[in-house]
Amino acid sequence: MTTEAFHTEKLTQKRVLPRLLKYAKPHKKALIVAFLMLFLGTGADILGPIIMKIYIDEYLAPRHFVTGPLVALAVSFLLLYAISVVLKYLQLVMFQKIALNIVQQLRVDVFGKVQHLGMTFFDQTPGGSLVSRITNDTEAIKDMYVTVLSTFVQGIVMMAGTFIGMFILDVRLGAFCLAIFPLIILLMVVYRRYSSRIYRRARKKISELNAKLNESLQGMNIIQAMRQEKRMKTEFGRINQELYMAERGSIKLNSLLLRPAVYSVYLLSVIIVLCFFGVTSIAGVVQIGVLYAFLNYLDRFFEPINQMMVQLTRFQQAMIAAERVFGLLDEERMEPKKVGEGHPRITEGAIEYKNVSFSYDGKTDVLKNISFTARPGETVALVGHTGSGKSTIINLLMRFYPVTKGTITIDGTPLEAFDNETLRKNIGLVLQDPFLFVGDIKSNIRLGNTSIDDETIIEAAEFVQADAFIRQLPNQYEEAIGERGATLSSGQRQLLSFARTMAIHPKILVLDEATASVDTETEEAIQNALQKMRKGRTTIAIAHRLSTIRDADQILVLHHGEIVERGTHEELLALRGLYHKMYVLQQGDNGVALTK
Amino acid sequence: MRLFLNLFWYFKKEKRSYILGILFLMASSFLSLIPPYVIGIIVDDIRTHHLTGILLVKWIGFLIAVGIIYYGTGYAWRQFIFGAAVRLSRLLRNQLYDLFTRLSPNFYHKRRIGDLMAHATNDIRAVEDAAGDGILTLIDSITMGAMVIFAMAVLINPILTVIALLPMPFMVWATSRYGSMLHERFHLAQAAFSDLNDKVQENISGVRVIKAFGQEEAEKAAFRRLSADVVQKNIAVAKIDALFDPTITFIVMISYFLSLVFGSMFVVKGSMTIGELTSFTLYLGQFVWPMLAFGFLFNIVERGHASYDRIQKLLAEKPEICDHDKAIDVKPAGDISYAISTFTYPESQQPALCDIHFNLPKGKTVGVVGKTGSGKTTLLKILLREFDVQDGTIAIGGRPITEYKLDRLRETIGYVPQDHFLFSATIAENIAFARPEATQEEIEEVAKLARIHDDIIGFPDGYQTMVGERGVTLSGGQKQRISIARALLIEPEIMILDDSLSAVDADTEEAILRSLKATRGDKTTLIAAHRMSAVQHADLILVLDNGRIVERGTHDELMRLGGWYQTMYQRQQLESLVEQGGKAE
Repeated sequence: MTTEAFHTEKLTQKRVLPRLLKYAKPHKKALIVAFLMLFLGTGADILGPIIMKIYIDEYLAPRHFVTGPLVALAVSFLLLYAISVVLKYLQLVMFQKIALNIVQQLRVDVFGKVQHLGMTFFDQTPGGSLVSRITNDTEAIKDMYVTVLSTFVQGIVMMAGTFIGMFILDVRLGAFCLAIFPLIILLMVVYRRYSSRIYRRARKKISELNAKLNESLQGMNIIQAMRQEKRMKTEFGRINQELYMAERGSIKLNSLLLRPAVYSVYLLSVIIVLCFFGVTSIAGVVQIGVLYAFLNYLDRFFEPINQMMVQLTRFQQAMIAAERVFGLLDEERMEPKKVGEGHPRITEGAIEYKNVSFSYDGKTDVLKNISFTARPGETVALVGHTGSGKSTIINLLMRFYPVTKGTITIDGTPLEAFDNETLRKNIGLVLQDPFLFVGDIKSNIRLGNTSIDDETIIEAAEFVQADAFIRQLPNQYEEAIGERGATLSSGQRQLLSFARTMAIHPKILVLDEATASVDTETEEAIQNALQKMRKGRTTIAIAHRLSTIRDADQILVLHHGEIVERGTHEELLALRGLYHKMYVLQQGDNGVALTK
Repeated sequence: MRLFLNLFWYFKKEKRSYILGILFLMASSFLSLIPPYVIGIIVDDIRTHHLTGILLVKWIGFLIAVGIIYYGTGYAWRQFIFGAAVRLSRLLRNQLYDLFTRLSPNFYHKRRIGDLMAHATNDIRAVEDAAGDGILTLIDSITMGAMVIFAMAVLINPILTVIALLPMPFMVWATSRYGSMLHERFHLAQAAFSDLNDKVQENISGVRVIKAFGQEEAEKAAFRRLSADVVQKNIAVAKIDALFDPTITFIVMISYFLSLVFGSMFVVKGSMTIGELTSFTLYLGQFVWPMLAFGFLFNIVERGHASYDRIQKLLAEKPEICDHDKAIDVKPAGDISYAISTFTYPESQQPALCDIHFNLPKGKTVGVVGKTGSGKTTLLKILLREFDVQDGTIAIGGRPITEYKLDRLRETIGYVPQDHFLFSATIAENIAFARPEATQEEIEEVAKLARIHDDIIGFPDGYQTMVGERGVTLSGGQKQRISIARALLIEPEIMILDDSLSAVDADTEEAILRSLKATRGDKTTLIAAHRMSAVQHADLILVLDNGRIVERGTHDELMRLGGWYQTMYQRQQLESLVEQGGKAE
């Protein structure tokens, strides 16, 4: 690791750690109790060797056996350990609970934050990395809390307690033993330095290997069809070899700096204690019990060190993860907010676009000066090729993006003035790709809206003619829907999404018609449903179906973000423009589309 | 323990590592027994005032020497044993990958990629643990345990040894039991976490619907519920996990207590010294690890066993499509003829193709159209032998394709699949996928033919632009055109375009088809498409419905026929006119 990288890592910790610790604040009481238990338990632990010392020096060595005090000693010894063990268990569980609850809060916060981010953010952030931040990165933080609270806190308290015990027994020897401290710190620093580099390399290789494997499995038909098996095997073998080398590196590091090294320090400290007693004994009398107790202390002093060192790398990983999570929590690309006081309502559903221009990236305008009016109950059909701005017109009405230039009004009130709830209740969106959630048919129509009862659901399904196919499913409305609705046909999925929209009884319908052709039977159901849905509702439709277009009160032809032709069916015919051409062509067509 | 037998081939293969590793491990165990013994002697010397300066220096020097050798042996056995274990996982990964490249598409239809990934990662990791930690715990629990018992019983006091070790079996039982309970609960916790992950995944993918229906709060509530479930399941894990430490401490303490109480009796009787009692308690401390190891061993082996079984089962998979015994090593050429009565996918009852008979002379183009699910893709895939036809034959140059070597057959065919899959590499590498040695000129030439060259040079790094998550996001149409360029680069005798132009606009489609016709004069092409315009210039057009040919002929013939083709053709003409509304002016 370069010193620079090392430096930035330290900076990260300085910034991230306090913020992480802040999450512990609501658990102050529980933490205090847990710490108290930890201290008491450790105290009991530390007293054990002292009792042994008293026993050896005052009773065993002088052969002074008195039943009363001996029984008292034995009972207190066992009692102390029983208490210590119970406290240890309770305290371990408590720390874990606290850690898990802290991470739960962090997770809920970050997920909640993401719910209110604007579409701009989602457009610019790959979904995969976003998912990983909400789940995997918080999981890494969980690991940190759990390990920090159980390994580090325990280890440090245990080590401190051991030293207190040593000082109680013999101040001078305790001071001698302190000499091993710098050694331990040095070992940790050295290990940390190397391990962060070596582990980073190993992690990188693992993710490279997984990526390669995943990609190969996905594209195996291409690899086989193009006869590249041998080359891919070589490439995989190379990454596999690199991973092997990285793993060898971590084995080497661990054998050089972990247990064998810690054992050496242990032996060194034993030697210090022996020397001290040896030299003192040559000069005068020593208490064997003290020596016994010291050796006993040293025996358990080093296991926490071993564990803390193993956890160091995890700690570093968690810091990096935490920084990413906090980055997301600080994200500023929020969804458009309601502006101003008051709670205007949507009663008629009149829509007006006035000189609306829009740009996603701030550079190129995808909408230029769009103006049109849709009177209550009217249908406006948007036609034009991909990229002409049809979707943007819809996206703005849905308030997925803020209107930056010009105004959009509903019933004369600017779009910004409405509550989110009012908009969502009154504008029903039907997407081209009907997204289904894991659950059953009912829950997919209702979504999370508890005010929609079963009757309404069935009504909505009947209205869009989805009822027929739902009734044929083995469990009807309770039929489980697998991932993304894979068990249903695309036409059925569309009908379901229609029902979902109809269940909220919207005043305004926003339609993004699917282009993909579906089987004739469902196609007819879809056409009928669309017609029924539009009735009495102001509809803005990205239209692909000629029936929708022909029935529209107003047709807007878009090209490069501008309206190049507009009017009703008759007006456009009279214009002898595009619509007329379609009409002429239709004469030779056996009534496929326009005459329907 | 059968796992070790199953893995014996590997231990044999890595004989040297394992034998040396085990020897060094045993040496380490032995060395670690020396310090407590020395300490006992020094303690007695101190007590009896026999300790002199020189004696002390001698003993200390001895301990330092032991420490240095121990460091060396400790390093060595880890290198040998863990080194061999990671070599095993390297080997297994390569074996699995090799297998994956040989298995037929049907295998990939049946198995989820996530599961296969899990075998290649988690299962191999578990086997690696068994070959490393498993061996360590096995050897350590046996040899170290035996040595400690030997030291305690023979060097110090056999009766005290029996008394002190009485509580130990309980520790083995407890840790092993905790281990399997932990494993179970851990699985539940993992499952809860994976549910949480799925929820987030769904939420992010469905963000538009969620926003449009104002479902943010409902989503948050659902997330909070799932996340609370994760907490619950993890607390269940913690409750077991937290048992280990206190249990071990407690049992060890009882052992200590017993040895102190009974040891004192021996000391009082004079059959033991205080120094020996000190050594004894230190040995007792060392006996903890072999006992723990014994408990761990069962869990490691249990997990490794299940994983190794899964890997073995996977490795036993046989490719369904392979070379026939008498397959000839000749590159197929000539007319293609399909004569299929029925073709049914494995594990399906309904035939996907029925009565497919047609002849495609060399150099001609066939277009296949029909509704989704009518069998277009299947018709093309069986030519590639992704699946073998049981009831009928496909022949090239008069010889059934099963009589050619698979490798030669694939060499002949340039395949552009429906799901235009690109690798995360540069654009140039993707185009040159089938011929990595292709020159930049060759790559650019096919890119121009596929009408993607202009797009590519518009990217920041041109042909060196990375594709995939860490690179540019390509549109569906761009991906399709790169796939076409990729297939063109091998100048295939037969080209298969499986709905490969669906995401490009009509003009580009027209241009690509024209350049294909121009450069592939005498070569054969098979095109499946949703858009009639993609096949209207084909020499033969087949209309499929439910796996049967319902209309066949040239464009003109089919238009005159007035069937599905004509209807669809006209509807699409109209719709494309609407699509391009602006341009029509």
